[in-house]
Amino acid sequence: MMNPADQSPRSPRPVPERFLASKATLRLDALMTWLIRIGGVSIIIMVLGIFVFVLSQILPLFKGAHIEPQTETAVVANAAQVKAFGVDESSRLPFVYEGGDELRFIDLAQNGKIISEKLTLPVGARITAQDYHAGNHRMAFGTSTGQVGLIDISYASEGTGAEARIRGSAKTSASIPIGQEGAPVEMIGYGDSGSGKLFAAVQNQSGTWKLVVFPLVQKNSLLGAGKIEKGDETDLTALIKGKPVKLLVPQTADSVLVADESGTVSYFFLNDGHFEKRQEFRPFSDTASPAVASMDFVFGDVSIVFTNPAGETRMFSLFIPQGTDKRIYGQTRTFSNLPAGATFFAASERNKSFLIGSGTRASLLHATTESTRWEQTLAFEPAAAAVDGKFNHIVFLGKDGKIRVLGLNDPHPEAGWKAFFGKVWYEGANQPKYEWQSTGGSDEFEPKLSLVPLIFGTIKGTLWAMVMAVPIALLAAVYAGQFLRPEVKRVVKPVMEIMASLPSVVLGFLAALWLAPILETRVVSFFLVCLGVPVLAMLVGVAWSRMPVLTRARIKPGREWLALLPLMFLAGFVLWKIGPLVESLVCVVKDPATGKVTADFRLWWPKVTGCSFDQRNSLVVGLMMGFAVIPVIFTIAEDAISNVPNSIIAASHALGASRWQTVQRVVLPVAAAGIFSALMIGLGRAVGETMIVVMATGNTPIMEWNLFNGMRTLAANIAVELPEAPVHSTHYRTLFLGALVLFVLTFVLNTAAELLRQRLREKYKIV
Amino acid sequence: MAPLFKSKPTPPHGEPFVWLGAMGLAVGVIMVAGLFILILSNGLSVFWPARVVEFKLKDGSIVAGEIVREQVQAGGAKELQIHTGNKDVYGLAYRFVAETDIVSRSEPPGYLMVGRIEYGNAILQPVSLVLGDGTTVKADATTFDDRLQSLVKEAAARRRQIEKVEKVEIGAINRKMTASDVELRALERDSKLDAEHREKRKLAIKNSTATLQKEYETLAAQARDLRAAQNRDFLNYRLATGEERKESAGNLMMFYHPNSLGFFGRVEIFFSRIWEFLTEQPREANTEGGIFPAIFGTFVMTLMMCVLVTPFGVIAAIYLREYAKQGLIVRAVRISVNNLAGVPSIVFGVFGLGFFVYTLGAAVDQQLFSDALPTPTFGTGGIFWASLTLALLTLPVIIVATEEALVAVPRGIREAALAAGASKWQTIQRVVLPSATPGILTGVVLAMARGAGEVAPLMLVGVVKLAPSLPLDTVAPFFHLDRKFMHLGFHIYDLGFQSPDSDAAKPMVFATALLLILLVIVMNLAAILLRNRLRKRYAIGTF
Repeated sequence: MMNPADQSPRSPRPVPERFLASKATLRLDALMTWLIRIGGVSIIIMVLGIFVFVLSQILPLFKGAHIEPQTETAVVANAAQVKAFGVDESSRLPFVYEGGDELRFIDLAQNGKIISEKLTLPVGARITAQDYHAGNHRMAFGTSTGQVGLIDISYASEGTGAEARIRGSAKTSASIPIGQEGAPVEMIGYGDSGSGKLFAAVQNQSGTWKLVVFPLVQKNSLLGAGKIEKGDETDLTALIKGKPVKLLVPQTADSVLVADESGTVSYFFLNDGHFEKRQEFRPFSDTASPAVASMDFVFGDVSIVFTNPAGETRMFSLFIPQGTDKRIYGQTRTFSNLPAGATFFAASERNKSFLIGSGTRASLLHATTESTRWEQTLAFEPAAAAVDGKFNHIVFLGKDGKIRVLGLNDPHPEAGWKAFFGKVWYEGANQPKYEWQSTGGSDEFEPKLSLVPLIFGTIKGTLWAMVMAVPIALLAAVYAGQFLRPEVKRVVKPVMEIMASLPSVVLGFLAALWLAPILETRVVSFFLVCLGVPVLAMLVGVAWSRMPVLTRARIKPGREWLALLPLMFLAGFVLWKIGPLVESLVCVVKDPATGKVTADFRLWWPKVTGCSFDQRNSLVVGLMMGFAVIPVIFTIAEDAISNVPNSIIAASHALGASRWQTVQRVVLPVAAAGIFSALMIGLGRAVGETMIVVMATGNTPIMEWNLFNGMRTLAANIAVELPEAPVHSTHYRTLFLGALVLFVLTFVLNTAAELLRQRLREKYKIV
Repeated sequence: MAPLFKSKPTPPHGEPFVWLGAMGLAVGVIMVAGLFILILSNGLSVFWPARVVEFKLKDGSIVAGEIVREQVQAGGAKELQIHTGNKDVYGLAYRFVAETDIVSRSEPPGYLMVGRIEYGNAILQPVSLVLGDGTTVKADATTFDDRLQSLVKEAAARRRQIEKVEKVEIGAINRKMTASDVELRALERDSKLDAEHREKRKLAIKNSTATLQKEYETLAAQARDLRAAQNRDFLNYRLATGEERKESAGNLMMFYHPNSLGFFGRVEIFFSRIWEFLTEQPREANTEGGIFPAIFGTFVMTLMMCVLVTPFGVIAAIYLREYAKQGLIVRAVRISVNNLAGVPSIVFGVFGLGFFVYTLGAAVDQQLFSDALPTPTFGTGGIFWASLTLALLTLPVIIVATEEALVAVPRGIREAALAAGASKWQTIQRVVLPSATPGILTGVVLAMARGAGEVAPLMLVGVVKLAPSLPLDTVAPFFHLDRKFMHLGFHIYDLGFQSPDSDAAKPMVFATALLLILLVIVMNLAAILLRNRLRKRYAIGTF
């Protein structure tokens, strides 16, 4: 490049090394390039990994049950004759009762070693009926001599570490003679709620049968709790049409259910010590085979699963139908058909899952979500099945005499799309509905995990906030962007920006402790001000624009708002004060009981609309959340409006357009993209707002558009419930799902805003 | 022919809408100003010593207290909220009196406002001081005030001493005992150790525990003596109701005469109360005393968040702007990062709880703190996880701000540096970063403001209503990353909503809110000033 001839003799000879960077510099440069690349990429991956992590936390919710065979032990000689079958809570020591006078425990850890427990039965008696309840390991029995009794099966662990063993024992209570003396007991049912104990038995003496029920009562004396004795017996035989085939007594010990051969189920309820026949229903009356093949309770003893001989499976639950006042059974669900009537059934003692099957077909179903968790055609035919207390194993007793233990892994049976987003007919409810109630008082509680009320609450809160914020923010932005004097704008803009970063906890506490009590008594005043002040501003505008030019010039453009301030204060004050007057004229409520007339909006609103009135309501939330959103919308929208090029505004004015016409026809269309994105970002802020909602609403997950009651939003729900949710439980993961919904919602909103803005910006690219 | 221009101009079209816009702005300004004034007046009036008014009521009873506010009930009846103090006697420190029930009101000078360690303030008429040596000083004696003042001072000195003995010295012994407990457990578990050695160690530990126990007993006796001394002197007083009571001097913190105090006296009390609020520990379920731990917790957490987030944010931004190939992917990443700033903070809290606390924290516990299990060390919320969560939350803020600052560095300067032979890193290090610094700082300050005011995610990852100890103290390792902490924002939430006596808590809530708002405003103002400086700088820098 350099020609030696051109070189002046005085300039130094070029030294190429001078232009080489030192090795250290190059090395540092390479190192930094490498470091920043690695660092940058990993930080970005980490940030985006939030989504992946949250997703990974909720995926288990949508998995079915995982079931795998574990052990197979051959033991029982006459499995087809098995009368009762049960397991301990960790499926190590099942027991089998095959009739006769002994109960056999089978130690699976010792390769099926049988440990027999002798039952102490009355002399000459044989057990002819039994009812085993897995929840309390108690078996009620009836004998050939017309007596009933209880066998308590208990498990105790012995030793520690590798030598740990579980020992089972059976304790037989004294038998009680019932009903017709000496008549063999054909069916028995027993329920024990702790305070009440109820027996039901069907006796059959050579073809004539009899249904008797009686409680066990504990006589209390001065010396304390007394002996448990048989209470008064009631004969219900006359109230049943056909011969009973199935008998059920719930653990609430307050009722008896009897199914007869025609498929009619009679429901007797113990009311004040007397049995009344509360209901008679035919679960399969509309089908070809109306008989009842099986009838079993799901955990909690509120719902019953019926099958008919054709294998149709239906669930009936107790609830109070609309317009009545008695709890009766009604069909709430239909499950997929079995090949025939169920031959084995086992309810979980942890949740509303149950194992049901017929022949070689077995399915694990969940009552709440109506979902099939697992289904398989087995290689053998089970005679009986059990689900252990920890919901970790399914144990089958095959007709081939083998006990098969299957590992069961189903941590989230109550989850699923239907549970989260569908209408579910919960136990006790009279219709399917969306409901959120994640924790309850008792073990039998059925979690209600519908996210719909929360999403509804989020939309409701956001909507009221936007209704409040959008008009004010946009009006202010238009005025500030086009008319306000620059020296004022230099102050107003940063102030609004600071407002945008005001901690929401401050707004929340103001909403709840300051605003809510004020608004509670002054709703009418508030609405008067809301209506009156804008009308006043418009009227002033109309009047002012009709003034002579010289008068108009007294207020310089861009100072109208200052002129309005005192007027607004005055009008606001007056309207606020006449609010109670209007209230006393309009919101008049007459108390039908006393005839007293009161004027109070809080009473009037529920009377007129049928909706409730709460102190911490959507109006308060909307107002305060509007407060949080106004600065966000204002700042971005104002930027967009003031960035509209002056040349086109000047052109518009030159063509004779008034300043408002210019704004309406020129400025707003050009700035539309920015304004739109401001709205979207404001929306995003309102959707995710947490503290204001937590503090200023009652946090009740209801679904009403009513302005005067509360709601529960997704964000508030997480803040309130996540600290108490056990790690990796269904509740925990469902809250993560809520967080994901929020995440996706805001992310989509913001991305849409950004993309739209970019597209619209190109469309309106004028300069 | 009609004239082209009307001689009489019609009013400009759409003028009412302009006025409507003016109203919008006015409403916005009123709302902002109103909010600030509301919090400022309510927050400051908490500290101002008001007069004590004595009311005679229709039923003959007498109520004395500070008037807090007047309110109108639904039916139009007025009622007064009165701070009566003496929570130990009346049950509540506040009560409402209907205006129609008041027969007369007066402001007798005899009332004394006494701040106490327990049961909050007392409004009382002093009767006499009974000292430990048997002497009595009557309330009308001229030396009464001085005597009481010196008693209050002595009590304060003793309180500090008790705290030193109980917290510092006994605390140190407790820590040593816990440590030897953990060591003992570790010895039991260590199967490799031979029996003889194990027994020897056990004996040594037992001996040292016995010594510690003895030391502890001495200190405990010392603390007992001091506590007894706190109850040696008494103040006899009379309530407005006429009931006579006595209060031990050790329970007194300060006193003043609310009705005979001059303006400057009031100003002095006002500032001393503010000082107490800023520097003291909370008392009485957080409704009394100060909020120092909350201020300190907020400060430490925000600072730690800042230290964590700034380097990462800056590196990510430099990568995105200077090193990554500008294309569709980088554009998508940029939009994503930008939008992450709009993702609700509670989502970050959920992530923090699930990932930092339950996943990372549990793993750390397994590896490093397995001796303490099942009590979690890092497997539960703490200040480190909280800072990390907030760092993640504010990362987009920093990235966006840094990117903007980098873009704003004029091309000419960069090219000049490159032309002068600087390598890419040298250009960034010596030229680009220095001129982008104000922009980056603006981002950092904005991130701090956002972090300081955020509450929702913190509720999930380690903030508590009352932390027994600060995250930073004089006990090794000095900086306790695993400790739970208090936070101003959460303090507001907790006081306003979880407090059993919400009326008693309200003044504290307002005062705390005022402090938090001031903090956020100051930080934002700093950011705005920085940004303005930055603009000026570039105004010169561009050619």
